[in-house]
Amino acid sequence: MAFFLHPNIVRYNCTCGSLKPISRIYFCRHCLKIRCGYCVCHEADSHYCANCLEILPSSEARLKKNRCAACLDCPSCLNTVSTRSTNITVQNPDDPNKTVTRKAYYLACGFCRWTSRDVGLPDQTVASGGWPEREHAHAARISSLLEHYKVLALRERQERERKKFTPRRSYLHFSDKFGLTAVMARKRAGLPPLGGLGIKDEAGSILELTPSVASEEVDSLPAEIYTKPINLAHVATLSQRLAQPEFQTELVSNLFPAHKHLMIKRSQRCRSCEHNVSKPEYNPGSIKFKIQLAAYYYVPEIRVVTCEPLRIGQECQLIIKLCNPTQHQTAIEFLPLPSAEEDLEERHKEIEEKKEKQAEKKNAEKTSQGRDDVSVLLPSLSLSRQLSVSEDPHPATVKLTGEVILPSSSVLLPPRDDAAEYDDAGDTYHFQDNPKVVVWRKANKAAVKMVVVPQDSATETREVLIGFVMKYTYVNTMASLEQKEPQKVDLKVKVFINVGKTVGSCI
Amino acid sequence: MLPVTFSRVFRMPLYEGIGLTEKQAVVIDIGAAYTKFGFAGESGPRCIIQTEVKCPETKQVKKVLHYSSKEDLYDLLVEFIHNLYFRHLLVSPKDRRVVIVESLLCPTLFRETLAKVLFRHFEVSSVLFVPSHLVSLCTLGVNTAVILDVGYIEAVLIPVFEGVPVLHAWQAQPRAAEAVESSLKALLLSHNNDKEDFPESAIEDIKVRTCFVTSLERALQLETVEPPPDVVYREGGTKIFNIPGKVREAVYEVLFEQDNDQISISTMILDAIIKCPIDMRKPLAENILVMGGTAMAPGFKARLLGELKYLLQQPKYSSRLALKTFKFHKPPAKENYVAWLGGAIFGGTDMISTRSLTKEAYLKHNNVPDWADLSYNCREEDKISL
Ligand SMILES: Nc1ncnc2c1ncn2[C@@H]1O[C@H](COP(=O)(O)OP(=O)(O)O)[C@@H](O)[C@H]1O
Ligand SMILES: [Mg+2]
Ligand SMILES: [Zn+2]
Ligand SMILES: [Zn+2]
Ligand SMILES: [Zn+2]
Ligand SMILES: [Zn+2]
Repeated sequence: MAFFLHPNIVRYNCTCGSLKPISRIYFCRHCLKIRCGYCVCHEADSHYCANCLEILPSSEARLKKNRCAACLDCPSCLNTVSTRSTNITVQNPDDPNKTVTRKAYYLACGFCRWTSRDVGLPDQTVASGGWPEREHAHAARISSLLEHYKVLALRERQERERKKFTPRRSYLHFSDKFGLTAVMARKRAGLPPLGGLGIKDEAGSILELTPSVASEEVDSLPAEIYTKPINLAHVATLSQRLAQPEFQTELVSNLFPAHKHLMIKRSQRCRSCEHNVSKPEYNPGSIKFKIQLAAYYYVPEIRVVTCEPLRIGQECQLIIKLCNPTQHQTAIEFLPLPSAEEDLEERHKEIEEKKEKQAEKKNAEKTSQGRDDVSVLLPSLSLSRQLSVSEDPHPATVKLTGEVILPSSSVLLPPRDDAAEYDDAGDTYHFQDNPKVVVWRKANKAAVKMVVVPQDSATETREVLIGFVMKYTYVNTMASLEQKEPQKVDLKVKVFINVGKTVGSCI
Repeated sequence: MLPVTFSRVFRMPLYEGIGLTEKQAVVIDIGAAYTKFGFAGESGPRCIIQTEVKCPETKQVKKVLHYSSKEDLYDLLVEFIHNLYFRHLLVSPKDRRVVIVESLLCPTLFRETLAKVLFRHFEVSSVLFVPSHLVSLCTLGVNTAVILDVGYIEAVLIPVFEGVPVLHAWQAQPRAAEAVESSLKALLLSHNNDKEDFPESAIEDIKVRTCFVTSLERALQLETVEPPPDVVYREGGTKIFNIPGKVREAVYEVLFEQDNDQISISTMILDAIIKCPIDMRKPLAENILVMGGTAMAPGFKARLLGELKYLLQQPKYSSRLALKTFKFHKPPAKENYVAWLGGAIFGGTDMISTRSLTKEAYLKHNNVPDWADLSYNCREEDKISL
């Protein structure tokens, strides 16, 4: 399986231009277009701890700074630490002459043998929690700075709203050539500086921030640095330091365990219709999806079966296997790749279509105002963006190194039937296959012959890359407002196959 | 297995309301070596990670700033920023505000591509570009300072007076972590003849864990002083090699040695002050802010101060500068994320709603105004104010 799905053998051309193996693309059942991880909109769905599998609502995750309250990471190797218990004997508080044994808990890392005792953390009397939290030394100072600038910013805004022509000096004043002279002039004249940070409050109240005071003293090198040998095992590495940016502890003996960082489950949304193409189940223990519009379930899959040795300029037979994953019969036809001009035309058509859709959307929005039911049916309308953003296409550059002579007739594939997989009795379908095209078929699969001619351009990389358009019929069962019956449509996708290496020396 | 599908898809309940409470803005400082990423209004970044991506297909690690073309940069940024949001911040970028802390030397191509990625790919609602030197002052509560940022590729200095940058006095030199690391590599290779190369990660590790900036007195006679002890370095568990004490002490000298132009990190400060009007000089010299990861090296600031005092005695400066003291600020942050914190404070205020480039404006004009573009920076009211 790993080999067949190898990203470089058979690649499909996503609507956005990327080339991806079928296992990595989606098929939006609403737009009937192929989408991929690059062109869908990713969203954070649910936060969970990968260690204890606890789910946190995103508001709580935000409050806890994306950290699990229960699990801790080893500060040394960044793996999860576990709690160990030992028995300790302590003095009986009621009778000083007697001792009692009690359980004591400490943290230990099973990977690097770090323990909480190494850094002098006292043992705990309860098995979970209770570990001291380190406070950020500057938290109070930073929050007063923040308050100060909030007031300034608010004032600047109010002032600007009050008087349109208020002089303003502040940070983003960057290329202000005259500003500096003006500031100096005011200073010489003994006037208070204008606006910005130097603003004096007329009421003289709110701004009581003490500005930082610079000092002539700086941290000097410890004298023993010139003489004392260092043991690297005691000096924290940069990654250990950066794991806790606010502390960046230099000595291993001061490294404290940190709460485990959470992970998220993501959902993917088609950017043009805003429907989900993938949505995982909420529970982190589950690997299932509520919605998973993987192309693998909707688009015929192509695998390479065999290929004759590839010699430049010679015709070689290539056999590929087609598989219909849907519940409906499909007809597959092969077409040559469109020329650059045709491609361009196609794109223009698409842009036009998009514009049309947008206009439609706007109209629908107008009519839907005041009607709750419609906005529920079409979620995208109620939360519509004022401006829809579109990303430029992202064309992958492919250099074809082989010509391909495509099968002349189309191939019919019956629907997928899970029961037939176990039925050796043979097929109940009887297709009038062209033996020059179809060499084998079983259930919803068929093997198809085509001819590859490696080109001179393959001499360089020695890899033969071919491309064609696969046209397949798809039965759209999505019921929409105006369309209730399943509809048969023809869809196209560009497919690129890396057939393999050329053999023999080149002439 | 068949997929479970629903004919109609409903949106998830939105915890973060639409318009009710604004989504927390994110603040990004993309450094040449490390990117600092977190939320506006918070006291520190959520993560500091290397500015690089692993190509999903080839599994090769590539530095974002080593882009070959605009298209390449676009793809690298998409990959990199996607990871930042979904692996580190765990929030959706769509319809959320962004604050970009950027260097003044940021190439236009980079900022334009970054804006395009944020607006077009991630559909953020607004972007606020803030110059790193200026916003760093928000961490101090002062509005006059000489700000020196010593990061990975270069040291960049800009004096700011009463909130206005003294642009013509700016200084930039390729004297930062990269220079230190290549000096370290060269020295190590010359001391270990059997080695052919050292991986970049090992060099950085050795630099951070064993090297320091020596004092000026010792630096003046490095050849004769008793060197600090050697360190045995274990590479990948089994291989070991020796890091001579001399090397540990000498690698940072590239930052302070004056080259033919007689320029070093320390002269940058003095040269910048000289370029400022006389009344500004004393306040500037007494408000120095040094930031950037390289300034975290042990002994860095002590050496800088020592050098400044020493240079002031030299004829080149004694005749031109009548300064007596230099004073350094201590920001409430580690040096490597001072600029980020400035952005987080600035972005935590109303400025984010009044100064941001909105999605609507971006899509309308389809470009990002430049700092040098007066039409953006000086609004009507300011032009009249003088
Ligand atoms: N504690 C430290 N001691 C010495 N060097 C450090 C320390 N922390 C970070 N650095 C170095 O600082 C450099 C990164 O600085 P930074 O300001 O983040 O750069 P940039 O913003 O250009 O990416 C890296 O080369 C790193 O090795
Ligand atoms: Mg930086
Ligand atoms: Zn795509
Ligand atoms: Zn947990
Ligand atoms: Zn560990
Ligand atoms: Zn869609």
